[in-house]
Amino acid sequence: MVWDDEGFSLKKLLFSKINRKLTFLFAIVGLVAPALALFFFYNISVSILSDSLPAEQSVMLETTAAIIITLLLAIDAGVIGFFVSRSISKPIKELYMVTKEVQKGNFNVRTNIKTGDEIEELSVAFNNTTTALAKLDTERKEIDNAKSEFLSITSHELRSPMTPMKAQLQMLEGGYFGKLTKKQKDSLKIVVRNADRLDKIIVDFLEVSRIEAARLKFAFKETNIKDLVEETVEFMNGFAKEKNVTLDLKIDKLPIIELDPDRTSQVLRNLINNAIKFSKNKSKIEIRAKHVDDHILFSVRDYGCGMNSEDQIRIFEPFYQVEDHSVRKHGGTGLGLTICRGIVESQKGKIWVESKPESGSTFYFIVPLKPVEEIEPIKVLFSPRNKIERKLKEEFKSILGPLGMGEFNELKGKNALWKEDLFKYVTSLTRQHILNEEQGKFFKNRIGIVFGNEKDVINDKNVTPTSIFEVVK
Amino acid sequence: MKTILVVDDEEDIRESVKLILESRGYNVEMAENGDDCLKKILSAKPDLILLDIMMPGLPVDEVVKQITDINIAFMSVVRISEARKRGLCTQDNIVDFIQKPFDVGDLIGRVELILGE
Repeated sequence: MVWDDEGFSLKKLLFSKINRKLTFLFAIVGLVAPALALFFFYNISVSILSDSLPAEQSVMLETTAAIIITLLLAIDAGVIGFFVSRSISKPIKELYMVTKEVQKGNFNVRTNIKTGDEIEELSVAFNNTTTALAKLDTERKEIDNAKSEFLSITSHELRSPMTPMKAQLQMLEGGYFGKLTKKQKDSLKIVVRNADRLDKIIVDFLEVSRIEAARLKFAFKETNIKDLVEETVEFMNGFAKEKNVTLDLKIDKLPIIELDPDRTSQVLRNLINNAIKFSKNKSKIEIRAKHVDDHILFSVRDYGCGMNSEDQIRIFEPFYQVEDHSVRKHGGTGLGLTICRGIVESQKGKIWVESKPESGSTFYFIVPLKPVEEIEPIKVLFSPRNKIERKLKEEFKSILGPLGMGEFNELKGKNALWKEDLFKYVTSLTRQHILNEEQGKFFKNRIGIVFGNEKDVINDKNVTPTSIFEVVK
Repeated sequence: MKTILVVDDEEDIRESVKLILESRGYNVEMAENGDDCLKKILSAKPDLILLDIMMPGLPVDEVVKQITDINIAFMSVVRISEARKRGLCTQDNIVDFIQKPFDVGDLIGRVELILGE
């Protein structure tokens, strides 16, 4: 929409209530105040100067008179100022407060401004906009629920035909209906393999729909984490051996806590499975678990191909696969890490990755010592990218001030809003002395937090997640 | 010869289960919903009922309430945790929960175990 600015118009000025109000106020200041001043000055000078006083005294009295007049004028101006603030700044302040609420996502606030001028009109327009926003917000939530429900229903419906299909295939393969030729067997093998794959995708979809509807079941019970991790690693060892990969497990003494052993093991298996997939032949995968403050920190480190910063941000997105020439051979449903994220975050834990291309990746996740009382729905099908950009924008605004927005947009245009690019950018700012060393460090720290707000929790407690691997580094 | 009653609203599943179990020498009867199941029990006198949880018509919890002296194994795409949440697994004669899609060998193994063979 183009704002129609027609320039100055006397008619508009006269019919604008707020202009009349302001004109009136300025008239008071501009006409009444000097008139009052003249009046005071006349009275005082007449009363003083009528008596024939010595010259020095009359000068002194004139100065006193001038001071009194100034004071009286200041009081006048104060009274006028008070009315100005009553009629203009107060409603603006109210509008501002309500805007702040809307910004926080509370669309149920309304302004109640009865000034009878353009500010009231603005307030009415604002209220209408907020009502429209509230409607959109409700619609968005409804669509979101519909999406989760659709996902759940379709996944169940998709799974039903799998039952007879798999049963018949297995019977065919098992020779229930007679002996098969080698060609028939080979053909059947492909059908079975793909039916299994399809079923796995459907199962993963169901899991996602459970996470999104907060229907993921957790059975919290007192668990010896050391045993749990050892069993999981033992189980995964078979897969690791196929690729000549060694699983290196070191666990500190850990407290026995209440957690869901199956779910925790599921996340670990998934991470180890990924690590095996991306490991080079004969390399090592390090699995660690340790007690850090009020949570247990698990980590799985591989020495595989690693990831660039874009992959690191997007790796937990559904169906995101690392762009690599070897992608095809990695396979999988593309939902594994999304589900891990859902499982971990549903119990108020965090999951994140640190990686460097060509030197491997480390996946971390933390599980609180005390289990959550209520499982909350988590949106795993939405990209966290928008959230990251929004947070970055706020950091730019708060650290660089008004300059920040322009800089942010320029970087966004260059698609340079990734962690490494941003670190380079901050370094260049400190080199140009736009920021001092201290500010640069602070800015980088904030950026780091945005990219893995998980680390926020840990860094606050002076434990860096990487400290587990300091020997390696 | 032991008789097994397969209750499922999907014909393909009923037929598949029938094929599998008949190959192991069982007598297999079929029903396509809860009401049908209660009727067939009287005529077929099964030793085991394989019962789907989600079927149109009479709700499954109503069906199982009326069966007290025959072993029942649930068959379902929903998980056992979900079934427990619906309060379905409380009766003593509910002896197993077979997750769909099932493995043919696993199905046979479970049925043989329940029927003590």
